[in-house]
Amino acid sequence: MRRSRDDHRGRRPHRPRDDRRDERAKPAHTHDDRGIPAGTGNYGRELRNLLSGIGAPKPEPFKPDPFQLEALAALEFEDVLVTAPTGSGKTWIAREEIRRLLAAGKRAWYTTPLKALTNSKYAEFAEEFGAKQVGILTGDRKENSQAPLIVGTTEIYRNQLFDALRGGEQVQADLVVLDEAHYLADEDRGHVWEEAIILTPPRIRLLLLSATIGNAGEFAGWIAEVRGVNCGVVTRPGARPVPLRAAFIMPDKRLIPLVDHGKLNPEIAGMIEEQDRQRGRGERGKWGKGRGSRY
Amino acid sequence: MKLRMPEMPPATLLAALGSYNLLPAIVFLPTRRRCDEAASEAALSRRQEADQRREARRDFMRGFVELHPEIRKHRHWDVIIRGGVASHHAGHMPAWKLVIEKLMSAGMLDAIFATATVAAGVDFPARTVVVTVADRRSPSGWQSLSASELQQMTGRAGRRGKDRVGFIIAAPGPHQNPQSIVNLLNAPPDDLESQFRATYTSLLNLLDAFKSFAQVRDIAEQSFAHRELLPRMHQLEQTRAQKEQEIRDALQKAQVNLPLTALRGFERLAASRERMLEFSPHTRYEMFMDWLRKVVQPGRVVGIGRSGRRLALVTARSPDGVNAVREDGRTASFPLERIGRVFAPIFSTHPEQVDNAFAEIHDRGKSVALPEPRLRDTRAEEEDAIRLINNLIDEFTITANSQDKARELLWSLQPRAAEIERCERQIDALRADVWRPFEQCARVLDYFGYLDFARQQVTERGRWLADLHVDRPLLAGESLERGLFKDLDVRRAAALVAAMTADEDRDYGEIELEDDVVSLLVQFEQVAFDVSTEEWNQGITAEAEINFSAAAAAAHWAAGAEWAALVRESHSDEGDLVRLFSRTGEALLQIAGLRETHAQAAQLAARTAEIVLREPVR
Repeated sequence: MRRSRDDHRGRRPHRPRDDRRDERAKPAHTHDDRGIPAGTGNYGRELRNLLSGIGAPKPEPFKPDPFQLEALAALEFEDVLVTAPTGSGKTWIAREEIRRLLAAGKRAWYTTPLKALTNSKYAEFAEEFGAKQVGILTGDRKENSQAPLIVGTTEIYRNQLFDALRGGEQVQADLVVLDEAHYLADEDRGHVWEEAIILTPPRIRLLLLSATIGNAGEFAGWIAEVRGVNCGVVTRPGARPVPLRAAFIMPDKRLIPLVDHGKLNPEIAGMIEEQDRQRGRGERGKWGKGRGSRY
Repeated sequence: MKLRMPEMPPATLLAALGSYNLLPAIVFLPTRRRCDEAASEAALSRRQEADQRREARRDFMRGFVELHPEIRKHRHWDVIIRGGVASHHAGHMPAWKLVIEKLMSAGMLDAIFATATVAAGVDFPARTVVVTVADRRSPSGWQSLSASELQQMTGRAGRRGKDRVGFIIAAPGPHQNPQSIVNLLNAPPDDLESQFRATYTSLLNLLDAFKSFAQVRDIAEQSFAHRELLPRMHQLEQTRAQKEQEIRDALQKAQVNLPLTALRGFERLAASRERMLEFSPHTRYEMFMDWLRKVVQPGRVVGIGRSGRRLALVTARSPDGVNAVREDGRTASFPLERIGRVFAPIFSTHPEQVDNAFAEIHDRGKSVALPEPRLRDTRAEEEDAIRLINNLIDEFTITANSQDKARELLWSLQPRAAEIERCERQIDALRADVWRPFEQCARVLDYFGYLDFARQQVTERGRWLADLHVDRPLLAGESLERGLFKDLDVRRAAALVAAMTADEDRDYGEIELEDDVVSLLVQFEQVAFDVSTEEWNQGITAEAEINFSAAAAAAHWAAGAEWAALVRESHSDEGDLVRLFSRTGEALLQIAGLRETHAQAAQLAARTAEIVLREPVR
């Protein structure tokens, strides 16, 4: 009994103050099991807004993004740092540039930080350009190592640079792609990326593919400084290829926006405050159990 | 702002997401175990539901078994097929993770429960990403997520070409913090920070290629960590060159026949003269205060006022004041400067002894007063030195043609010479910061004979060590040099290399170590001890302890143990064992490359690598 009274009292502070909004709050607790709000009240609209546009877009023929074309154009005369989130088509840029080089009889190195990633890129490129054109080098795998396109871990590429320097030879590549270049900030292995960038001869074009970072300009400036070749920055405008919405799922399975005008949704903030207050009184609120049932 | 709510049961969560049409989803959970449990729980309640994709999943996985037979026995086989959900984390085998990634990409799964490790590297997006914790587990405990880490997670939300919108959903959980998720979503992306450091491998390779420390240092100075260093050094060098030119021009114009070096010597003399003047007191007052600070201490009787006739016993001192008891027994505190005389004896400050102290001073009077310092005495020494410097300064000008003119000129150019001096000191300091870690590595390598520090050369021994691309090359090198690989079988070779490869903090159970493996590891421990002692001597944080349980697991694996049994006995996740053996195998392949210098060890390593890297490892 006591708990229910406390819980009831506990709801008040974050219950919307004016009556109109109060009504808005109620139907939300009565949505059916499918979660789509049963009522047509304002809360329903909020949820509809939150979920609007969900689903698959109409299939469209592939068309490269302007930032992808910009990167390709820049590669013709300088090193390029591409920063864009995962899945926005950074690899496409590398693939097209490699395609162009292979067609011209030139060679390329594609480095990744992980063995798993190396294997999947190898499979991808072998399918794209033909198995004969692609080799793979990792700590325990060495296949077709004389192929014009080599996929491998960044460590192996760096080791080849060392070997070339010591033997007075040239690394056989016209382009080096450093995928996941933000690994430069990895505590254990990051130094390998720096060594690779510093030691790659300026005659080899560098293409760095990185997640979004705060100091892309500074990073590119440094690359240009140490290599003596200009390094352009191409950033995907609008950040994400697919827009992102943030929501919070309440213990009663209601879905509400996480953010309201740039700030934490007041309903969530109120719920946390109330919970802290109860905790202060030594009462553990059982938020996990269906709050809807109390209405 | 922590949300201390229980986690939503996984089945409930998925049902809710399904009701909003938010599947497929990746649900990020804090631990591997939670991922496995969540997948099992969710699958249990979902297996009753109608799902036409069950057959498709079964076919797909059966097809995969042909390539990777090891996945057939996986305990989550049914979870995937009947529940349409999976757990994905570093504890699983690479092949298992691969099949999950492929199933997800093919749209055959509704949810993946994953730890944050999935966020980096592998690429399988979903419509929705669920975040249940605002913290992540790291080797050093729980840490708050960074903006980049959350960005990696949200980067999985929304499949290009399949979704018009992606969702990040914060779900309740005991470590959830909606406010910090909002903050991270609003935060600008993290800056890329350099982790540049000196390693034995880099040093040996660079020195062997460039043949001098100076050139290795040039490379180190180019690192992103020191990106501000180059422009700063450049600027300092420019300032120096500019000041040098100004001085040369001025000397030439005045037709004073002095080289630049003479002017810099003059500047040094002038600077030391200045320093000396700075520290010597200029007035009687300053000198007297310095003296009081030194001699006024608890237990001493002092005379107050210029005459120094009123007495007080000091009980305590502050930097510029004293607490004291007067003759009438009242306490007083006053600044040092009011003291006119100090008496030599030191008395007890005990209240009952105070009267005795005053009586004795009255008795003996001026004879026990400390002599005041004279200004001339204190200045004499410094003045001698300064006179000496002045003479030297004069010497400079005597060599020049016209003394007075030259003296004037030297003093007017002195600030510029001082600037040159300052630039050089700063350049040296900046360079030392970059070079120090490399020098430490070089000294350790020198100690073990891989590098000749004095001649700045890589030795014969250092050349093959440079080719040995393993995490801890010195341990491998010293083990080879001291013949630890001699007469080993593959079992012991695997144990030895696993011990030098494994992370120290991962435990692979308590598999029994055979006696011959133990005695080998004891020898190896001596190697590790010697290496870390020398590293410590040179100021390098000594490397971690060696991992006996890893050695035991590798010995058993190399001796032909069965995978499932080894997983059981080592109490390890399959993924961790695969990683251990795969790293061991890679290190063995590196040693196998040393055919020319260590034929026998290389051959043994090649054989061992082949055995260690058998299925399902690699």
